[in-house]
Amino acid sequence: MVNAIEQLLLGWLRVPPEPAPPEGAPGSLLLFRAGRNYWRWRLLCWAGAQAALLLLVLLPLLLSRPQPLPAGLTTLLLLLYPLQALFTFFAQRLDYRLRWYIVTDRSLRIRAGLWSVSETTMTFANIQDLRITADPLQGALGLADLEVSSAGGSVSKEPGASPTHLARFAGIDNAEALRDLLLARLKRYRDSGLGDRPEAAPLTAEAAARELLAETRALRAALYPKTSS
Amino acid sequence: MVPVPPAIASLTRPAENLFTYYFLRALATLPALPITLPLLYFRYHTMRYEFSPEGIRMSWGVLFRHEIVLNYARIQDIHLRSNAIERWLGLARIEIQTASGSSSAEMVLEGIPDPAAMRDFLYDRMRGASTPTADPNASLAAILHEIAAEMRALRLALNPEAPPLHPHG
Repeated sequence: MVNAIEQLLLGWLRVPPEPAPPEGAPGSLLLFRAGRNYWRWRLLCWAGAQAALLLLVLLPLLLSRPQPLPAGLTTLLLLLYPLQALFTFFAQRLDYRLRWYIVTDRSLRIRAGLWSVSETTMTFANIQDLRITADPLQGALGLADLEVSSAGGSVSKEPGASPTHLARFAGIDNAEALRDLLLARLKRYRDSGLGDRPEAAPLTAEAAARELLAETRALRAALYPKTSS
Repeated sequence: MVPVPPAIASLTRPAENLFTYYFLRALATLPALPITLPLLYFRYHTMRYEFSPEGIRMSWGVLFRHEIVLNYARIQDIHLRSNAIERWLGLARIEIQTASGSSSAEMVLEGIPDPAAMRDFLYDRMRGASTPTADPNASLAAILHEIAAEMRALRLALNPEAPPLHPHG
């Protein structure tokens, strides 16, 4: 029943199917979802918000003694409350289900959203910093958010502005492992902003050619010691 | 320079559905309709794209003219976004970020007929999407290094007591 309603909603909102992975080396592709506990976490947040709404807004309104609400308004509130609860419950469920994280050897892609679908693609060459955050509840559930930001402007403070320069792996249960994986892949970009590693300078063609020249000279010297210059 | 596929090079105008979407957007601003509708009308009718081998040029506007030029190689991240109304009309926005300071997107491509194909096109050309090795001559360097190793082996075969050469000396 719940699934049928969801399928109907997804078709009606024309939500595109699973995202296509960005091009990358075969075998490096990693496709995963938010942790199983992410759904529980969203459910708890939803239950908390609903309880707060009920206790702090709805009940005081309905029980206001000196000036009771008109009967029509009371009925409307009592109808609206379960309706919004049902609606937001489905929103939580679909937020969990419509969330994909893809990592390849050179880029990452995050797809999320129901009404407003957003798909972010970022290459590792542009990544500036990684940040792991978790609130106490997330920590207890073994979840964390991993935020990846690229160079440029900060996240806009305006309400409703979509965060750009930022990719967010929300509610994953492998945040540390993923961070280590991303760091390892970042290391191949020497100018990627997380600091250079001078000892890891790759062999350039010029250095190799000089090495070859030195060896060739030494070989001639070994063959004909008198003509060596 | 990799040539631009004909389907993308020939793209100079947004899809007609974009105006339908603009019209709906203007309707949503009901009291401000007399202002928003002409603005969006002119935005749609003056919007021009040009996809060259190096980058994108986008322009719009009559009184307040805008023109943005950016290079594919400077693209940092690509956001493909759409709301349900846009999806019903077969539209999506492609927001392109470069490293400049603004927090909003540097360029928003609207009314692209096949947004997924455009995203893949941009991804292929953006910074860091091609070979991850920094030096294009890396394989040449590896071959030269191997030849040097062969030379060293040859020299040591002639004279086993020869002192080792300092590499890069």
